Amino acid sequence: MAAAPRGLAVAVTAEALYLANLTVLPGLAFVALAVLGWYWRRADAPLVRNHLRQTLWVSGVGGALIALVASSLLFVHAEHDFVRGGSLWVVVVLYFTVVHSTLVLFGILGLARAMAGQSFRFPLIGPRLLP
Amino acid sequence: MQFKSQAAAKPYFVAAIGLFVGQILFGLIMGLQYVVGDFLFPAIPFNVARMVHTNLLIVWLLFGFMGGAYYLVPEESETELYSPKLARAMFWVFLVAGALTILSYLAMPYARLAELSGNNIVQTMGREFLEQPLPTKAGIVVVALAFLFNITMTVLRGRKTAISSILLLGLWGLAIFFLFSFYNPSNLVLDKYYWWWVVHLWVEGVWELILGALLAFVLIKVTGVDREVIEKWLYVIITLTLITGIVGTGHHYYWIGTPEYWQWWGSVFSALEPIPFFAMTVFAFNMVNRRRREHPNRAATLWALGTGVMSFLGAGIWGFLHTLAPVNYYTHGTQITAAHGHMAFYGAYVMVVLTIISYAMPILRGRPCNSPRAQVVEMWSFWLMTISMVFITLFLTAAGILQVWLQRVSDTPLPFMVVQEKIGLFYWMREWTGVVFLVGLVVYVASFFIKGDERPA
Repeated sequence: MAAAPRGLAVAVTAEALYLANLTVLPGLAFVALAVLGWYWRRADAPLVRNHLRQTLWVSGVGGALIALVASSLLFVHAEHDFVRGGSLWVVVVLYFTVVHSTLVLFGILGLARAMAGQSFRFPLIGPRLLP
Repeated sequence: MQFKSQAAAKPYFVAAIGLFVGQILFGLIMGLQYVVGDFLFPAIPFNVARMVHTNLLIVWLLFGFMGGAYYLVPEESETELYSPKLARAMFWVFLVAGALTILSYLAMPYARLAELSGNNIVQTMGREFLEQPLPTKAGIVVVALAFLFNITMTVLRGRKTAISSILLLGLWGLAIFFLFSFYNPSNLVLDKYYWWWVVHLWVEGVWELILGALLAFVLIKVTGVDREVIEKWLYVIITLTLITGIVGTGHHYYWIGTPEYWQWWGSVFSALEPIPFFAMTVFAFNMVNRRRREHPNRAATLWALGTGVMSFLGAGIWGFLHTLAPVNYYTHGTQITAAHGHMAFYGAYVMVVLTIISYAMPILRGRPCNSPRAQVVEMWSFWLMTISMVFITLFLTAAGILQVWLQRVSDTPLPFMVVQEKIGLFYWMREWTGVVFLVGLVVYVASFFIKGDERPA
């Protein structure tokens, strides 16, 4: 049996915490991910650096995409007829569902890559891969 | 093809695809009737179009499962099928019974069909998805028993693997739970209670075992990953499925007259139902990432990965969207349910049947895979159908949210038909996306006729 690539457990944990932040433990899992990132900040294993960098960055961007955009949509239109007609809810619920499920799906892809000991770049919003 | 008797699967696959085309055509007819109410009336009323659309779906998926089992079991068991003749005979019985049933739906009023088919002897008709007349239901039982006998005997005399055992468990469960379609108590609450034992325990229970087994089989073949690794994943997935799915039946019991505790049981366990689909997606991608060989059938690999993703989205996410009792209080029976139903059925069951067809059909036709040109066309059909299904789901979700708002949340709720008028735009968009889906399906069928540099199996 081939040896597991160096840093596999940390990479898998990072992806798992990213997913937990989006699903069962929002906020708490992000804090845990940030602590993990801080603890392993000087790691030289490319797998660890890659997955920590990707998940931390995309957690931030994803949080902004979900919370900030959805709440500002509601805030901006709170007194507008659009809200009373229900159309805003169509936009907000669809927006939230699509963005959230896309982020979860990306996380699943990342987790599968981490488990296989491979690097991963989140599509569209992931930072560039380090050399 | 390792075993000659695997050829029994081929007619099942062909029939499945033919009936799939019929299902989509009736879906389009019905979709148009949502916005042009008298389209094809009185020749094909809405209730008939809907019945044909859903019944064809069930029948063609059953054809697909049976074909998949006839292909998979000899190879897993390392022995010829117990009786290829029985498999062929049952194919014709099932096809003729299915075709006669659909024709009878179209040829006469449903009440007349009930009268002619002996519904007064044992009343089983008139319930959603279980509309089949008594002789058809009896025929399904006969075909299922013969099929299970054939498959079980093959497994018993050959090698026993986790995949074939889980497949058998799923198929036996499918047959056993269908028996509740014969139980139709006059108490409406009891009727609906047990009706879900067929419908829910099929699609969120035993069918998932069949799905897992078919997917695991194809993944072993196309990735070359060790059987032990794949089987461990399979055990985890089916355990999660059964733990969440069985008690998760409670999410159908919120508002039908059953005790209030179902709102808790249903909410908690069905909130966990996305987990097996989540695991299935990780499983599929993990296996492909760890593959030990580049299988030439890239289309089959694409369908396998697509099954993971789309079943997670359709069954997992869109199921979760309206599964908690306080949310479901507002959303039950709206277009949100239709959105979930479309993507879940497509993502989980349509795609897994197309996965096994994509893998097995070239081999049944004497080559390891289709020519690169045919595969490119097949992959085009994958994207056309999958993307259009995503948009069908989004448009139905939008219609559903607006419907909930206008009909159930607003301070001045509007009547059902008034709301239907107001959400017509989304129905139009759904219809046009449905046309794109049909184009994808035509492209899929066309891919079978594309020649190229074929290599012998």
